[in-house]
Amino acid sequence: MPTPYLVIDGLTKVYERGQVHALRGLSFSIEKGEFLVVIGLSGSGKSTLLRCINRLIEPTEGKIWLDGTDVARLSAKRMRRVRRRIGMIFQQFNLVDRATTVRNVLTGRLGYMPGWRSLLGLFSSQDKRTALANLERVGLRDKAYARVDELSGGQRQRVGIARALMQKPEILLADEPVSALDPATSHSIMQYLEQMNRQDGVTVIASLHFLSLARRYGTRIIALKDGQLVFDGPPKTIDNAKFKEIYGEDAEEVEVR
Amino acid sequence: MTGYPEGYTSPRPEWTTGRGLYNALARRADVAAKYFAVFLLDAGGLAALWLLVTYAYAWYVLGITAYILVPWWVFALGVVEGAILWESLGRSWGQKALGRELTPVSGEATPIRRLLYFVLWHLFGLTGIGFVFVPPLHERWSGLGLRRERPSAQAPVPWYRTSAGLFVAVLLVVTMVSALGVTLTWESLRRLFTQAGQTAEFWRALVRPDTTILLDAMRDMIVTVFMAVLATLFAVAVSVPLSFLAARNLMRGPIGRPIYTLIRGAMSIARSIEPIVWAIIFLVWVTALRSPFAGILALWVHSIADLVKLYAERLEAIDQGPIEAITATGAGRLSVLRYAIVPQIVNPYISFTLYRWDINIRMATVVGLVGGGGIGQRLINYIWGVQYRQAGTVMILIVILVWAIDYLSARLRAKLA
Repeated sequence: MPTPYLVIDGLTKVYERGQVHALRGLSFSIEKGEFLVVIGLSGSGKSTLLRCINRLIEPTEGKIWLDGTDVARLSAKRMRRVRRRIGMIFQQFNLVDRATTVRNVLTGRLGYMPGWRSLLGLFSSQDKRTALANLERVGLRDKAYARVDELSGGQRQRVGIARALMQKPEILLADEPVSALDPATSHSIMQYLEQMNRQDGVTVIASLHFLSLARRYGTRIIALKDGQLVFDGPPKTIDNAKFKEIYGEDAEEVEVR
Repeated sequence: MTGYPEGYTSPRPEWTTGRGLYNALARRADVAAKYFAVFLLDAGGLAALWLLVTYAYAWYVLGITAYILVPWWVFALGVVEGAILWESLGRSWGQKALGRELTPVSGEATPIRRLLYFVLWHLFGLTGIGFVFVPPLHERWSGLGLRRERPSAQAPVPWYRTSAGLFVAVLLVVTMVSALGVTLTWESLRRLFTQAGQTAEFWRALVRPDTTILLDAMRDMIVTVFMAVLATLFAVAVSVPLSFLAARNLMRGPIGRPIYTLIRGAMSIARSIEPIVWAIIFLVWVTALRSPFAGILALWVHSIADLVKLYAERLEAIDQGPIEAITATGAGRLSVLRYAIVPQIVNPYISFTLYRWDINIRMATVVGLVGGGGIGQRLINYIWGVQYRQAGTVMILIVILVWAIDYLSARLRAKLA
């Protein structure tokens, strides 16, 4: 039996000198090409989970097998090589506001460049062409030389996607990619993720707040509560009872159309 | 763990690992630090009040200089007991300043329990024994603990009805009264109103400047400006790298934190010594003759201390988002610095540097007064030589220079923002 692409095994993260348990022995696995949506209340451990996978946060315990290597135990240097294959986009976009769009996109190549080249800012012409092509793909070719702080929220997230595309990622982590955006823009962003998933075969792990978005785009949903897995299955199987279990008794489902 | 039935083995206790032990110790130190911070503020405040009241009383009533008027152990006992009593029975200013209050951990805060807390804090709190346990012993047995102040539904009591507010008010008044006793005498007050005529020479210079010295004065002014420029430039070269080591958010862990503390501490000491004092030190150090070089060194040291603080505080306020994002692309540490941090700080750094240059020009004049060269030195030479008309002329020039530089640097900084 072939092993799954990504296996999370007993992942635990403890913050603040043992006072806060963000993840409690989380285990699940993902096949290549899945679009996994992680749902759960704020503080349920979604962000921590995503950041443990590329080790922006050091896990306290547990194993993360990515394509046969235990990411949690890699040295800093080897971890950087693995990170190149893991794209990430963020709720607050995390772009450098004072720089131009294309410059932000180019930073996606930093992992592939030798140190001295990146320090001098010598991106290859190949990289520059790819950057413009990726901006074309997310419909921002005409904003390539505008400063990022002149862009709207949806445009900024598209810059974030273009930056992740520069890495030619095998897997994309999306940490609440649409929480800061309006419903219409949310769908447009989610469609770019779907396109990456279907056309480029990128495995996507996205945390979302709206169940309707999760149902529409996910091929599989997992739900976290207090750092533990409370649901794992295809989108259709989340019914009202399950929903209340995940979000608490008083929750009402909100639709995003 | 294999081979055992479910639930047969238990996880290793946390305190048997190095990390667990460290966490446990750190947690206790945390709790103790919170209690002692409040206590030190209260005791320190009471001690200051006592000293100032005694001083004012001795000065105005007894006509002598005295600080406590009682045996030192009475003073110490009074301050410590006063602070403990205040903390146990009411809301002390230390609690108020740090946003904490003594609240029941469970049940009601009856007077009996407050009294119990008073006794227990003596026995276990002050001695430190109680902090071996979490929660500390005095808190456990009295049922009262220092907790973060909770917003209440009741209207806040006006400051003059709270003991902490009254305390601060009394402290301010007493400080002013005792300070007046030190600085002001009737004699000097009388002179302020009767001897203005002696400055006539200065005022005359303002309307009738001595133009023969203008050229020489201009040359000294250029020296002053260059002193400021050189001091600022050299200070920037040192401060920029140092600021990264003095930023709390970049210096974490067992190696980073001590470096951070060391640099911040050294800088705040260097900053608290005025440039004029540095100038005197460097005059002795580098040369027995008076020279601009000593002035530059003085400004340099003080500028480094000031710029490191300004730069580091800006670094601490940067958006962490881009750092996270660039790290996630697989970039190395230096690339993260170059692409996530530097773009966020370039403009503020230039702005701070201009501001410091502006200050340095003013400081260069002051440093010159003790012999650090430039226009300040010329000014003090005229004053010692009783050439008041020439001194007045130099003063006019200094005002024009400082005003012009101030305006220029403000305009440039507005452009950068």
